[in-house]
Amino acid sequence: MIFDSYEAFRAVNFTAKVCILGSGPTGTTIARKLGAAGIPVVVLEAGSREFSDDSQDFYRGVTVGDPYFDLDITRLRFMGGSSNHWAGWCRVLDSQDFEPKAWAPDTGWPISRADIEPYLSEVHDILELPDFRPDVPISDDIRWVQLIKSPAVRFGEKFADELDKSRNVAVVLNTYATELAGDGRRVTSAKLWSNGQDAGSFTADYFIACTGGLENSRLLLWSNQRSNGGVVPKATALGRYWMEHPTFEGGNAILADYSAFEVDATNEAFFSPTLAAMERLEIMNFGIRLIETPYPGVKRIIADLACTAPEMAEWVSYQLSQDLRCAAQLYVAWEQAPLASNQVQLSKADVDHAGVPRIELHWKKSELERRTLLEGLRLFGTTLVQKDLGRVRIADWLTNGGDYPTNEELAGHHHMGGTRMGTDVTKSVVDANSKVHGMDNLYVGGSSVFCTSGECNPTTTIVALACRLGDHLSKVIGV
Amino acid sequence: MSFFTRKMSRRTIMQALIALPALSLFRKLPAADPDAIVEINGWILKRSDLA
Repeated sequence: MIFDSYEAFRAVNFTAKVCILGSGPTGTTIARKLGAAGIPVVVLEAGSREFSDDSQDFYRGVTVGDPYFDLDITRLRFMGGSSNHWAGWCRVLDSQDFEPKAWAPDTGWPISRADIEPYLSEVHDILELPDFRPDVPISDDIRWVQLIKSPAVRFGEKFADELDKSRNVAVVLNTYATELAGDGRRVTSAKLWSNGQDAGSFTADYFIACTGGLENSRLLLWSNQRSNGGVVPKATALGRYWMEHPTFEGGNAILADYSAFEVDATNEAFFSPTLAAMERLEIMNFGIRLIETPYPGVKRIIADLACTAPEMAEWVSYQLSQDLRCAAQLYVAWEQAPLASNQVQLSKADVDHAGVPRIELHWKKSELERRTLLEGLRLFGTTLVQKDLGRVRIADWLTNGGDYPTNEELAGHHHMGGTRMGTDVTKSVVDANSKVHGMDNLYVGGSSVFCTSGECNPTTTIVALACRLGDHLSKVIGV
Repeated sequence: MSFFTRKMSRRTIMQALIALPALSLFRKLPAADPDAIVEINGWILKRSDLA
């Protein structure tokens, strides 16, 4: 069932056991799982079926620190959430991403990759993915990894018919919780806002916040402030350890045989470090993406190489005459070290139309990350030389210690952390089952529970965690 | 004065001292590893690439 307002939903007398806030990949996946288990669920979606400027306006905010995207651009507020502008790149976090790293404080998850593996075949069905091939070691330091481009499933479009026909799932559009009220043990109600006005209170046995990697923190910070700590009793880490995947062009590569690394029609290939290399260099995880350089760009690279290694440049010129595809731009996306100072805060100066403080995002890249970028490119370049696969040139701004360029991708629009998973209540917000510490009926879904980000796009792991949480709640709640 | 310096003129000794640094040119230097990795102008290369 899908309703366009809370008023229309209320008219049908549907009693929901679980209230899911948000209809993005996490909210939709959990709703489908619970609905299939016979558990009545209501999904509150703040937006409608389509994009609208009015809805997006609720997402405006400011960033303090490093340059970042406008907060009302980097996510979407309508049915299906940010899956509506997702590019479709898929890969699950590696086993090593779940492990603590001695050289990077506050890393490590309370669960392992094995805990989500049982759900991966389900994830493949949802995201319409073929099987991943195993990583290919290029050297002791570098792996050729696979990211699969899925059809970029738009959850609102793909599952609208199924949800509309469901007898156990009710999706209520244009409706959201401005705040949750709690007594330090349970969420007692949600204050609703529907079609631009106050819609009263709503109660359910369980609440799951699935409003996104920025908005989950905002909702819980505001709710906790209004309930005097009654929604997140252990709130030291709430909003903190926020992470992204910074992404910059770090240089170029000349390849002896470009086709050796082709994975699909996009002509892109991805490389990551081994755990041993990360340990030895004490760096974070990273992904180097090779994107084919256009012909004029290759000529510029050869001219540059000719100044340093003329004979090598001559060889490359010959390669170019044989095959126009012999050079690549190297885009590097890396794992941020989790820092408590990178955090979502509530603005003290600005509120949205419903009176909820907007987000003030504090975000800065660290020195460890800068070293990860530079040493990662050196590691990759060394591997190409040792294996005679090609040569790498690191960008001047990196070798000269210059500032990050401001005219590049900046980051991946991947919003992670803020309500991270863990056992230490001073450094986490939810437990290994995504339940808020100290609360009996409040759960959080989505990438805000990530403890670390790994190097890969988060959606596949997000959906796997949603399947796991849906499964867990089905068992906890029963029918 | 030693026997050696008594037999040689001051001019000869000075010429010998001036010539000393040039002798290092004939010293056998250890051969550079052609496979060693070098980083020059941002390029990560094999030393033999520079030949």
